[in-house]
Amino acid sequence: MIEFRNLHKAFGSLHVLRGVDLVVAEGETLALLGPSGTGKSVLIKHAIGLLEPDQGDVVVDGISIARATSAQLRRVRRRLGYVFQNAALFDSLTVAENLWLAQNDEGEERSLVGCRAEAVGLLRRVNLDESVLDKLPAELSGGMRKRVGVARAIASKPDYLLWDEPTTGLDPVNADNIDELILELGRQLGVTSIVVTHDLDTAFEVGDRIALLYEGRIRAVGTPREMLDNTDPIVMRFVRRNRVEAAKG
Amino acid sequence: MRRLSEALERIGRAAILAWQIVKVLPRPRLYFTSALQHAYVMGIASLPLVLFMASLGGAVTSQQTGAQFTGGLPLWVVGSVLAASMLTELGPLLTAIVMMARIGAAIAAELASMKVTEQVDALYAMGRDPVAFLVAPRVVAGLLVFPPLVMLANLAGIGAGWGIGLLAIDGLTSNDVIYGMRFYFRPWALIFSLLKGTAFGAAITFIACFVGLEGKGGAEGVGRTTTSAVVITTLVLMILDLMFAPILKAF
Repeated sequence: MIEFRNLHKAFGSLHVLRGVDLVVAEGETLALLGPSGTGKSVLIKHAIGLLEPDQGDVVVDGISIARATSAQLRRVRRRLGYVFQNAALFDSLTVAENLWLAQNDEGEERSLVGCRAEAVGLLRRVNLDESVLDKLPAELSGGMRKRVGVARAIASKPDYLLWDEPTTGLDPVNADNIDELILELGRQLGVTSIVVTHDLDTAFEVGDRIALLYEGRIRAVGTPREMLDNTDPIVMRFVRRNRVEAAKG
Repeated sequence: MRRLSEALERIGRAAILAWQIVKVLPRPRLYFTSALQHAYVMGIASLPLVLFMASLGGAVTSQQTGAQFTGGLPLWVVGSVLAASMLTELGPLLTAIVMMARIGAAIAAELASMKVTEQVDALYAMGRDPVAFLVAPRVVAGLLVFPPLVMLANLAGIGAGWGIGLLAIDGLTSNDVIYGMRFYFRPWALIFSLLKGTAFGAAITFIACFVGLEGKGGAEGVGRTTTSAVVITTLVLMILDLMFAPILKAF
């Protein structure tokens, strides 16, 4: 379980998070919606300790991220996978080496060759084949890099996955493929996910619940149906497209 | 006041990074293979320029010594001044200048680029320690590669100074140069040269890593970070040079 407790974060005079309270239950997929610049990525970066809160805390399976020792934090991070918005692949390493880093614990690495078969399996899950294994990220298209980023995030077989705009920049087929992967990981492996997205289709397709982050706070949270039925004008404006589609359907 | 506070905070963060490196050092399996690879690249890539710069330094020293002292002092002084200059000052300093320009700037730019593209965050997210993965290998490589480079620079400078001296200074013989060098030489000068080179190597790689990891703000930020790394390293090298001077006198 991931709990955000009264989380505040400011960058200089910009107060991005103004007291976020949110609980993501075990095995749940929570889609986090919100306008650009409202701090959705900032919020999930707190869950993995990439940012320190100014106030409040994030608790992952009972461990306070703000107060965790570096060893505790490393252990928590090994259980969390993070899909970066721009993939964040190591550009001086090949795809195989990028995956190998995530497949192994620090200081207990298996050989690169020994991890190759597993790496091919990871790539297949994101609709890529082994021909990309020996390529550098610069030799891949943006969409392919993104999918390698997803493969790297799931390489450590995490219990939690934090997806930062997983389908942005992908063609519809691969966006669907990633949506299916999120669903599959949740259903088959019980992975708990937080999916930060602008894509309402993705949010409504993968989210067991949807949360709307607005002006630094959680404005509304509920199942897709509850969000569609929400009469708050801000929520209505945000989910209008899906509301219209639901009505058409 | 704000600038002073920011400068102090930066020094504090540098001290924390230095401590983190020290904590990683007892676990060589985390960084040593990578450090050897970096050392190989640093050494091979920089060697021609280091030798060339040191040769120029030696050639200038012997000529200027000859020009200033001819007629006033015996010519074997050229050998003494050449050996003293190369071992205690020019060898380590010229090597450091080349390494700062070639390696320091490259490290700062690479790490700053990794920082702004979230690659450093990705390391944290995978439960890996960026200090063990990125910083320790480069700093250790600097420590490994500097002493041999400084020694080779000393040899190249002395050799070039000797050869050019014979050509450019009237009446100078190889016997003069050898006598002058033997008259000056003491083992401490060699140890001093190595110590100075090692300190310079650690400073260049450490500052480049620290400044690089502080990088922010896209391509322009990477450029600013690289410039900043070179400027800070130049200042620190000169300060270190100043601090080493009394040590030479003490022994």
